[in-house]
Amino acid sequence: MSLLGTMQWLETTQASVWLRESLWGYPIVESIHVLSLTLFFGFAILLDLRLLGIGLRHTKVSEVAERILPWTFAGAAIVVASGLLLFLGDPAKFYGSIFMRVKFALLGLAALNAWLFHRSATWVKRLSQWDGATATPIRAKAAAIASLFLWCVIIGTGRWIAYFLPA
Amino acid sequence: MLLDLTRWLEHSALGQGIHNSSWLFPFIEVFHLIAIAVLGGAVILTDLRLFGWGLRSQPVSQLARDVQPVLNAGLVTLIVSGLLLYISEGAKMYFNQAFRIKMLFLLVAVVYTFTWHRRITISGNGAASATRGRMTALLSLLLWTGVGLGGRAIGFV
Repeated sequence: MSLLGTMQWLETTQASVWLRESLWGYPIVESIHVLSLTLFFGFAILLDLRLLGIGLRHTKVSEVAERILPWTFAGAAIVVASGLLLFLGDPAKFYGSIFMRVKFALLGLAALNAWLFHRSATWVKRLSQWDGATATPIRAKAAAIASLFLWCVIIGTGRWIAYFLPA
Repeated sequence: MLLDLTRWLEHSALGQGIHNSSWLFPFIEVFHLIAIAVLGGAVILTDLRLFGWGLRSQPVSQLARDVQPVLNAGLVTLIVSGLLLYISEGAKMYFNQAFRIKMLFLLVAVVYTFTWHRRITISGNGAASATRGRMTALLSLLLWTGVGLGGRAIGFV
């Protein structure tokens, strides 16, 4: 089955029909998507600001990473789950949306950026080397700027999906 | 009176400009959304600390002070972008029930954050006030969630 065919099949599933037709289903899932975005992106911003030496300067980089990241991941899990449900509400239409496609591509880039930054098994130890420093290495700053930029554009494309849907 | 002001703003060049543009409103909305995350991150981090979670190695007061500029930046961006959105369709918003409820929550949340909540965070690090700290954090989260839900509901009612 083609990807579009899969989307058209998804559209006929009971869950998809319910999301589309129920009065409260979609608004509730959308609200969850936006509120969990606050947790996920809000905390990602704080880590990025710390890496840039702008925010939370009295806290060690390694502590920010260790203590904040579990919450960030929890937020991410809810954002992804609610986002998938929103997509399921009208899969064929979203599949055809240019902003949805751009968003997915940028999500891949943002995930790659985060993965490259976190991949080392000893990265927390590596982070702790910067603990005293207000200024972190240039690579860390580059990752933080890329993260902030990508997530802002992702939020933008996400919001624009609803305005420019294919007919 | 407020309605007159709203109508006047709506008919101003800025209000009309945003209203008549096909992309300005959604463009401003993106800044509004990003600012929600900035403010929300700062609020949640402080409130988690009051619960005894998150960044525990430093006193609440230190964390609250460090986070304050982030919170302020988010709030200012939210209010400026929100006002721009409002003046482009003011009269419609003025009569929107969800908008009114949101404004009520916003007023209470802002006053609460900069009075009682701030007093607890700046003064508080003792275990004696742990329960009071948790209650303060819970109310803060509920109020800001109310603002967010009210905002999302504007488009649905």
